[in-house]
Amino acid sequence: MMRLFTTYNRALLTISIIGLLIIGYLFYNTLSQYLNKQIDNYLVEELLEVKDYARNKTNYPAHVVFEDLVIEYHKISKQHIKRHFGDTVFFNPKKGHKESGRFLEEDLALGGKDYNVKIIASKIAHADQAQSIFLVIILPVLGLLVVILLVNRYMTKNIWLPFRQILANLKSFNLNHGGNYQKVDTSIVEFKELNDAIVDISQRVKSDYKEIKLFTENASHEMMTPIAVINSKLDMMLQSNNLSEEESKNLIDLYSATSKLTKLNQSLLLLVKIDNNLLKDKEEVNLKKLIEEKLAYFQEFIQQKNINIKLDSQDKELLMSRYLADILLDNLIGNAIRHNKIDGSINIELNAKKLAISNTSEADALDPSVAFERFYKSPSSEGMGLGLAIVKQTAELHQFKIVYSHEHNLHSFCLIF
Amino acid sequence: MKILVIEDEHTLRANIIEYLMAEGNVCDQAKTFAEAAQKTALYSYDCILLDLTLPDGDGLTLLADLKKMERKDGVIIITARNSVDQRIEGLSLGADDYLIKPFHLSELSARIMAVIRRRTFNGSDVVVFNELAIDVQAKEVKVNGKDISLTRKEFDLLVYFVANKAKVISKSAAVTHIWGDHADMADSFDFIYTHIKNLRKKLVDAGCKDYFHSVYGVGYKFAE
Repeated sequence: MMRLFTTYNRALLTISIIGLLIIGYLFYNTLSQYLNKQIDNYLVEELLEVKDYARNKTNYPAHVVFEDLVIEYHKISKQHIKRHFGDTVFFNPKKGHKESGRFLEEDLALGGKDYNVKIIASKIAHADQAQSIFLVIILPVLGLLVVILLVNRYMTKNIWLPFRQILANLKSFNLNHGGNYQKVDTSIVEFKELNDAIVDISQRVKSDYKEIKLFTENASHEMMTPIAVINSKLDMMLQSNNLSEEESKNLIDLYSATSKLTKLNQSLLLLVKIDNNLLKDKEEVNLKKLIEEKLAYFQEFIQQKNINIKLDSQDKELLMSRYLADILLDNLIGNAIRHNKIDGSINIELNAKKLAISNTSEADALDPSVAFERFYKSPSSEGMGLGLAIVKQTAELHQFKIVYSHEHNLHSFCLIF
Repeated sequence: MKILVIEDEHTLRANIIEYLMAEGNVCDQAKTFAEAAQKTALYSYDCILLDLTLPDGDGLTLLADLKKMERKDGVIIITARNSVDQRIEGLSLGADDYLIKPFHLSELSARIMAVIRRRTFNGSDVVVFNELAIDVQAKEVKVNGKDISLTRKEFDLLVYFVANKAKVISKSAAVTHIWGDHADMADSFDFIYTHIKNLRKKLVDAGCKDYFHSVYGVGYKFAE
């Protein structure tokens, strides 16, 4: 995985370097060819001077050595070399070292005798010139390239800043916690469009989500009145003085179905309320005391199954909705009793960091990945599968963590504060 | 007792009235906010049952108006909205109780009796039924003037049944009354049986007549 502008920079850098090398090579070559041509012209002029000189003098021409020019005469028997140019390395006696040069060689008849004339001109001065020209051109180009790369780096960093901000805001956007998508101010059209599109989508998602929740809330509320009617009708039927046994049984079933329906509705409404964070009545709740209250509240059920309760609790206060704390413990302790076996046990451990409730049961381990999902229930459960979902939502609302584990035949739920 | 039932749902209103009238109460009814405002302006009641969501207005407004007029009528809010805020608002506006739909008529009746008792007998709150005397405030029960000791749940059940004299109370209603919203424990019906059995035994042992009658496993009736 590579960042967008690392990829971009890498390509830019590679192309720039290759381009620069090619351009540099071509430029240098052309420049040296041009300089060679200049030296060659100079050599030809020197040769003409040699010829002029030879016309007037008849004696043997001597070697000539100047600072940058060497003329050599070698007697030969017959002329056979035509004029030609070439590169060479020669010993410069004036300077006392070898240097590169350009030569012109031609066989000439001087004073009636045949000579091979070789004129060598030092390239050093010209090479220095070429180097200067090359550097004067190439160095600014290199500098420009570095500046471009730096500017590019800075620009991409800055130009993409709104994009990063958009990304960060998008990541922190959470439907459940009610916050809005934070709009990012940017003058770049593309990002503005992206931003507007996200704002638009987030608002639509939000309103859809709100509508769904509102729908659940309204549906549940609207159902309460008909259920109330059914309930009151049942209560009236019960008052009839001549109920048959059959009718009584039907009444029992109807009562139980209605109470299940009521409970389902209440649970759904509660979930909506937790989702919408509507239960804002926060207060210091003494968990230790509340647990003791709950154990007293459930005492008949505990006694009936002859459940052994091991309570190890320290004082712990939590800042949370009392109503939700109540429901949280009702669900956790209620479950530990409901799913327990005869002569079973429940361990409750409360300290500053966590509340752990574990219980024996005949039921197999729950699947921890779905145990807290809405409407998930173990095959043996008679509930609706909303209790643990409520526990989880409540925990999340208060930034607690709830973990289920199954070890040594103990189902445990651990609430980490 | 004179009770005004403000409820827009026809069947529910009719059932509430029928149940309450059978207990010897006089009932008046209103199905809209306007009707309710008119009736409360003209008459006074021992207790007003107030539905908050009326087709033409908010029940809380009516409640606020009643309190502005310094009316002494007891008010019980009956609503489908189980909202903590609304509950607090309702009670702070002067409602005596708050009952969430759906409810059992026996529960409603018990709440009405409690409200009327609180409003009528200042301080001492003693319900007398033949040889039974129940001090609801002090949570004491006397049979022929002799104290008997009941558990908290047994006491609650007794008060509940006495408030619904001669009515069959379903086990479902009794369970809800004792364990509230969390009455869905698997064996809760058995506990009602156990509690009532113990309660009966304690009362009979103290020389009280056995007023509890079982009704086909559906529920119980407290009657002569």
